[in-house]
Amino acid sequence: MTAFRPLHRSVRLLFRKEVRQFLRSRQAVLTGLLLPALLMVVAPGLQLFSASASSARARSSIPSVVPGLNGITDVRGIFLYLTFPLFVVLAGLMTPSLAAVYTVISERERRSIELLVALPVSVTDIVTAKLAANLAVAAVTLAPLFAIDAAVILLVTSAGPLFVLAAFFVLLAALTASIGVSLLLALVARDFRTANNLNGAFVLPTMIVTGLCVTLVPGLWRFLVLAVLLLAMGGAASWIALRWLTFERYLS
Amino acid sequence: MPTAIAFQSVTKQYRNGKVALNGVSWSVGAGSRVCLLGPNGAGKSTSIRLLEGALEPTAGSVELLGVPVGERGYDQARLRTGIVPQGPGMYPDLTAAEYLQLAADLYGVSIEGAIQTFGLRDHMYLRMAELSGGFQRRVVLAAALTAEPEVLLLDEPTVGLDPKASHDVHEYLSAVMQGRTSLLCTHNLAEAEALCDQVIILQEGRVIVQGRLEELRRGARPRLRLAARQGTEVLRATLREVGPVHVDGTAVLVEVADPTTEAPMLLRRLLDAGLDVYECTPVRATLEDVFLEAVR
Repeated sequence: MTAFRPLHRSVRLLFRKEVRQFLRSRQAVLTGLLLPALLMVVAPGLQLFSASASSARARSSIPSVVPGLNGITDVRGIFLYLTFPLFVVLAGLMTPSLAAVYTVISERERRSIELLVALPVSVTDIVTAKLAANLAVAAVTLAPLFAIDAAVILLVTSAGPLFVLAAFFVLLAALTASIGVSLLLALVARDFRTANNLNGAFVLPTMIVTGLCVTLVPGLWRFLVLAVLLLAMGGAASWIALRWLTFERYLS
Repeated sequence: MPTAIAFQSVTKQYRNGKVALNGVSWSVGAGSRVCLLGPNGAGKSTSIRLLEGALEPTAGSVELLGVPVGERGYDQARLRTGIVPQGPGMYPDLTAAEYLQLAADLYGVSIEGAIQTFGLRDHMYLRMAELSGGFQRRVVLAAALTAEPEVLLLDEPTVGLDPKASHDVHEYLSAVMQGRTSLLCTHNLAEAEALCDQVIILQEGRVIVQGRLEELRRGARPRLRLAARQGTEVLRATLREVGPVHVDGTAVLVEVADPTTEAPMLLRRLLDAGLDVYECTPVRATLEDVFLEAVR
């Protein structure tokens, strides 16, 4: 199907509608704020506090044969290079995906999608606007939370700006992956419960891959490898979904 | 008359294997008001969905304002088309004003005219889901008509409405469909008869009747409405040999070849049989008659 012109205008108008609806949904706002706050600030904060309390402890028990652990000498190092990236990826994956899947599926379930189909827009416009709105809301929510993390990390630990930049890159990659996969899940799943189950099935292996990545890749390279993997995952999911995306599939 | 809507050998088979349209061809001339009738599953809504670009035909071609759906130029044709979907869900978190503004912005027009035409000014700042069924339908109609489209596609516009709201919607439609290419998909034969001048009847994915309503009415077998003091059962028994007889309230309807010549003959026969006939009227075929005859 040909996209409607001007594409950007349609998407922009639909994007505004999506953001407006998101901000009016108490449940979405609470989920969108509490979950990232928990994953990006509360949990890492507690971990860092705990790491600082036992910072004198050496990593005598950590096997040096694991490349990702080379150079890590204290509990703060474990937090920075092992635990913190896991929280960043989890927050990036979870924050937009729940809302994105919900908005795509709920529009179909309550039949309000018929109101949009009747307007001069394409299905690509509709779904792009939904995902862009969720990505924007997630980015706006996560950016200040990440800034808090960055400030604490720079003040309390020995990590420098390059570490913070690399972690931010991972966060953006996780957000991208989340949006791509959300699009695919929303098209595959017939209802919200199925979509949630599939989302869980996607997050679990992704976190295992993230865990392997941060333990097997040394230094800041782990962030680069992780980001590339996440971007590849998001790109592949988006490519499949957009090739597959038709009104017929979305409506049925 | 230029063609505004054209289906050429269109087949639509859904992913579950169901064939909704089976090689159908029909067209609607510019400015015509056409009603798409048919039993459930006949392919009416599929036809509207194909025109709005929500579905793609499995075979054949669907054209809107001379442009094949989904091809270059279709987006411009769509901007000249208003669509009223069948029983859409309403947004619980958007006001009527916000939805209409979205529609107007997408069409690149102002919403003022539509608000005034459909009497929506006092309801603009209510959430769409909070509006009554009648006002919800008015909002959808206003969105479809906000850009003064050349083509209007209406998919069951009054389904689920109470009689008062249906009447109001009919009043609006009667005004806005004048001089505008309109395709009305409905089960409501009275609605179709009141609003359209042409009919396409679909059954099991095929066109079984297509033509001007007046011509179809003329082509339908004429009937006589007869009533007698003795009641419908006696009338029916007496007229059984004449042709098919249907009871209609306190009278019967009997199919005849020519009411002018057969009515006096029938009257004489009934009076000779001792029946006190107090009504004998030629009945003009309705759309319901045409429809029932076609799908029987």
